[in-house]
Amino acid sequence: MTAPHDDKIEFTLDGRKLRASPGQPLTSALFANDTWIIGRSVKYHRPRAPFCLAGSCGACLVRIDGRPNLRACTTPVVAGMRVERQNAYPSAALDVFGATDFFFPHGMDHHTFFTSAPRPVHAVMQKIARQLAGLGRLPDERAVEIPPARARRVTLVVVGGGPAGLAAAAAAARAGREVLLLEQASVAGGSLLADPRDGPTRAARLMADARSAGVEIVTGATVLAYYPEDRATEADPPGLLAVATADGIVLVSAERFVYATGSYDQNALFPDNDRPGIVSARALGRLLVTERAVPGKRPAVLGQGPYARALGDALAAHGADVTRIDGIDEQIVGTLGHKRLRAIEVASRAEPDRRPRRVPCDLLAVAALPAPATELPREHGCAVRWEASLGGFHVTTYADGRSSVPGVYAVGDVAGFLGTDAAEQAGARVGRSAAR
Amino acid sequence: MSEKIIVCRCEDVTLAEVQHAIELAYTTVEEVKRLTGLGTGPCQGKECQAHVARLLEHAGIAPEALRPFTARPPFAPTPLRLFAGVTVAAPDAAPVAPKAPPRRGGA
Repeated sequence: MTAPHDDKIEFTLDGRKLRASPGQPLTSALFANDTWIIGRSVKYHRPRAPFCLAGSCGACLVRIDGRPNLRACTTPVVAGMRVERQNAYPSAALDVFGATDFFFPHGMDHHTFFTSAPRPVHAVMQKIARQLAGLGRLPDERAVEIPPARARRVTLVVVGGGPAGLAAAAAAARAGREVLLLEQASVAGGSLLADPRDGPTRAARLMADARSAGVEIVTGATVLAYYPEDRATEADPPGLLAVATADGIVLVSAERFVYATGSYDQNALFPDNDRPGIVSARALGRLLVTERAVPGKRPAVLGQGPYARALGDALAAHGADVTRIDGIDEQIVGTLGHKRLRAIEVASRAEPDRRPRRVPCDLLAVAALPAPATELPREHGCAVRWEASLGGFHVTTYADGRSSVPGVYAVGDVAGFLGTDAAEQAGARVGRSAAR
Repeated sequence: MSEKIIVCRCEDVTLAEVQHAIELAYTTVEEVKRLTGLGTGPCQGKECQAHVARLLEHAGIAPEALRPFTARPPFAPTPLRLFAGVTVAAPDAAPVAPKAPPRRGGA
């Protein structure tokens, strides 16, 4: 899939020169340089490291070329790129404020921090707290170039280019509709690109199918918002999507909206579940599928279900010595390691009195049930419902994908976690209905 | 690191803090958000909201009573310069009443 890279380029991390393959995601370049800590957390200054590798979690924000809070996982490395880790003093690897974590073993409530202390003490503590917290500094230079927003009017817009969105877009286009598909990543495919079974083949087939049906696929397009009252021009009906692209914002108005926004990777709740080297299962699946890389020597997979099994099998086929923890009969009760994960502690439900066994492990993939990505349809007024077995709050839909709002459809994981196979089938059905 | 179970990675909110909020009888996702600050960081709850709802359900809150907190755009970290380039049409066709010019030296 990816050609071997021989011509390496140089970039800097906190002033230190590192080498990378051109175009490689910044996170992968850091892994290749055995660097996992990517910053420090806002309150306890715990090490922060990439988790989802899909642009949804907030764990990989860095300062790049003097601009703060950019996602490392969605930023390709270019020669000479200047990367700085944020919120750490004197450095991300050794942050003196990490002591905060030990001083407050049971957590601290920063909202009422020292509010009962005498006023001068409170004033001093406020200053210290402001130094401790925060997310990055302002950019080095003020923005000189303000790209003007463009307006775009289409019949039907599909948000999300995973299996559900691609299938829906193709079906709607075959039914004669003008279809625009917006995909946040640089390549469409969504969670298929994290599926080591036949994901990439299926993604390629769905993309070819959508294109031949006449779908306009725009990648690198992040839908930031739905504004119900706004119109790009006097001629448009109220209600538009604000879409961030490389060339500025595009304001999209449409008659029909199909939300196929997918689902967000979730972590599992176990002690020190934020240690560097703990990633989502789909993050590791994505690295395996798109880069044929496993950034660790002893990976473990936490979870049960078809995806956890498939990932474990794929890691084994890649030659890795995989540990599988199902999370039911065996639970993770602790993790060890500083700069990155070194071992996990595993307890068995059958023998609760026995000491947990320690399993050496430098990479842990968590296959927890992903949570439906409902922000946009929620803002559009679509009703949602809580259903734990479907991953969380999901858009409620009829069988044909209609939501509670006329002209607005939801399909795939956003309407309750389905997985890639069912999402593709649902997409074809809902695309036909949305085109009616 | 001191041993913690992190529910919200962005704002460093632990499981103990969420459980404490629930013990204090905060029974909605919104209330737990307001008390602990979870869901207010760069990811805006993409990683923690479902955990909180699940914990509330375990504490006995009926699933149909659970509501997500309000989704507020933008849904991804965005440089402000992009928004600076946006112009939209007036919200409706009715002419906007002109504002009275500010009076010089007035209160």
